[in-house]
Amino acid sequence: MSAAAVGSPDAPRWPALVPALLVVAPFALRLAGVTVPNTAIIFTLLIGLMLTGMPVSISLGLTVLTYLFTMTTVPIESVALKLFTGIEKFEIMAIPFFILAGNFLTHGGVARRMIRFASSMVGHWYGGLGLSGVLACALFAAVSGSSPATVVAIGSIILPAMVKQGFPARFGAGVITTSGALGILIPPSIVMVMYAVATNTSVGQLFIAGIVPGIALATMLGLTTWWLARKHGYPRQPRATGAQRLRAFRESAWGLLLIVVVIGGIYTGIFTPTEAAAMSAVYAFLVAVFVYRDMPLSRVPKILLDSAAMSAMLLYIITNAVMFSYLMTSENIPQSMAAWMLDQGLGVIAFLLVVNVLLLLAGNVMEASSIVLIFAPILFPVAVKLGIDPVHFGIMMVVNMEVGMCHPPVGLNLYVASGVTKMGITELTIAVWPWLLTMLVFLVIVTYWPPLTLWLPRILGMTS
Amino acid sequence: MKILDRLEEWLITVLMAVATLIIFVAVVHRYAAGVAIPGVQDALLKIDLSWAQELCIYLFVWMAKFGAAYGVRTGIHVGVDVLVNRLRPSDRRFYVLFGLLAGAVFTGIVGTLGATFTWDVAHTSSVSPDLEIPKWIVYLCIPLGSYLMCFRFLQVAWAFVRTGDLPHHDVGHVEGIDDVDAADAASPALHPAAVPGTRA
Repeated sequence: MSAAAVGSPDAPRWPALVPALLVVAPFALRLAGVTVPNTAIIFTLLIGLMLTGMPVSISLGLTVLTYLFTMTTVPIESVALKLFTGIEKFEIMAIPFFILAGNFLTHGGVARRMIRFASSMVGHWYGGLGLSGVLACALFAAVSGSSPATVVAIGSIILPAMVKQGFPARFGAGVITTSGALGILIPPSIVMVMYAVATNTSVGQLFIAGIVPGIALATMLGLTTWWLARKHGYPRQPRATGAQRLRAFRESAWGLLLIVVVIGGIYTGIFTPTEAAAMSAVYAFLVAVFVYRDMPLSRVPKILLDSAAMSAMLLYIITNAVMFSYLMTSENIPQSMAAWMLDQGLGVIAFLLVVNVLLLLAGNVMEASSIVLIFAPILFPVAVKLGIDPVHFGIMMVVNMEVGMCHPPVGLNLYVASGVTKMGITELTIAVWPWLLTMLVFLVIVTYWPPLTLWLPRILGMTS
Repeated sequence: MKILDRLEEWLITVLMAVATLIIFVAVVHRYAAGVAIPGVQDALLKIDLSWAQELCIYLFVWMAKFGAAYGVRTGIHVGVDVLVNRLRPSDRRFYVLFGLLAGAVFTGIVGTLGATFTWDVAHTSSVSPDLEIPKWIVYLCIPLGSYLMCFRFLQVAWAFVRTGDLPHHDVGHVEGIDDVDAADAASPALHPAAVPGTRA
């Protein structure tokens, strides 16, 4: 945490009381003899602990432990067992593999070749490098499962080049911050694996369902870029010749082939999603070290270590979130919430609106994985009762997470982009709004037009 | 202390690499065994790799436990710091310490629960389904990992009390991107500044 992030010495003091009050209140009320519903206790405790700034995983775990020790008959052993068995699922292991693959790709020059290919294809249109950036992000998203990784991989190369060509820094930062979010919508996607784990939905179905919305969002972001660039007369690239395009394609073919391996492998059933992830990690390693030779072998241990640390962090959140959702289920909270919402006469349209607003609000304070792991198990039973397709609901959540990644205060993409561009968060926030607006429009489309997500899995015969 | 640090890093690096290779080999083996090459096919069919999946899970569970401890030391665990970062330094200091100590308490409790649990399992003849190794060896990572994590939380808290510094993980920085780009588009904007938003 940098020193700049600390409040001034004469900041108001009352906010400091908020977390403390939230943590203490439920117990104080109980001692005073007021009956507080269990749901309220769990959530005030969780929110209070989270606001203290401790790791999300620890606040989840502590909430469960505190609740267990003070007010329930659920045997602690059965919950503790979840702590050990919570992540013993092969599907979850796709996460470390995809992170590893992503790191090899980011380091290995695959991104650079993809950018060259993208700019040879669309660089001569309005938007030039900006439009190429959108396409390159979409291509990279198809081999990487994380948004911030996509922003780093594409942004750190294309942004300096854009500024050199005379684009305002804001324009470039806006394009890349938002297009990078495609990383979790276009398969593979770590957030989709999280959703699948939290709700027992098929990872393969979610991946296939993400393809069409991913392409649609890329197109919409591209159109926004094109329109803005045309309006302001930003520089364009000279049209690439057929031979140049072919060469750029051949150079990036090793990276592009990975798209075929992952998606094709999962769809045809050659691999399970986890195996596909492991294969792509090995493949990315081979390409980076032996084919492109951008990465010396000596750097491999460091990449393994970084990937392991990142995966362990996510797995630790998953472990605690599994325990948390087990507590919720054993206290019948999702079920009673579902019943309550249905009693209110909440229809599909209103429910989806509420969910989106709730998730967007949560996106203001938490990052995507935690949101999905906490909210999906709660909202999912209601969605199922209302007849919403689990896959559609998942894709909607993922798109919602993308929006959250691109706006402050916790938009991860923003921080990454600010690291790459050296622009302040406030300035970046202004920079991203045309694209952010586009994403919000897209979110509405995805939410209320299920065929966009369900069409492809259906014609491929993956869902009914 | 240095030895413990290195051991921790070395352990999770190796676990990551081994798990990846095992799944890779298992998949290649599955398809290679289907190709009819005389001699080779029979040899391949004799090798049974059905335990690969289970081993991969255990390796990653171990990696997750020790990686989480390493993550405390490097500040990779994300939290909601929106509110805390707007507080007066003295109030913020209180919550940072509270968070770190809460982390230590939680991991301490989990470690103890894990130790009792592992102890109980060790007195049964429970073995894993495919590998048939005793379950308690598998579960041993929980007390070990959690106690290590507890220790790391205390270590970070102690360092914070003494120096006021927290380890922090920089999401914007990717090792190796810098020098690749220096050749590509000589730009000064490639050394990302410290990124607020992540913390221990």
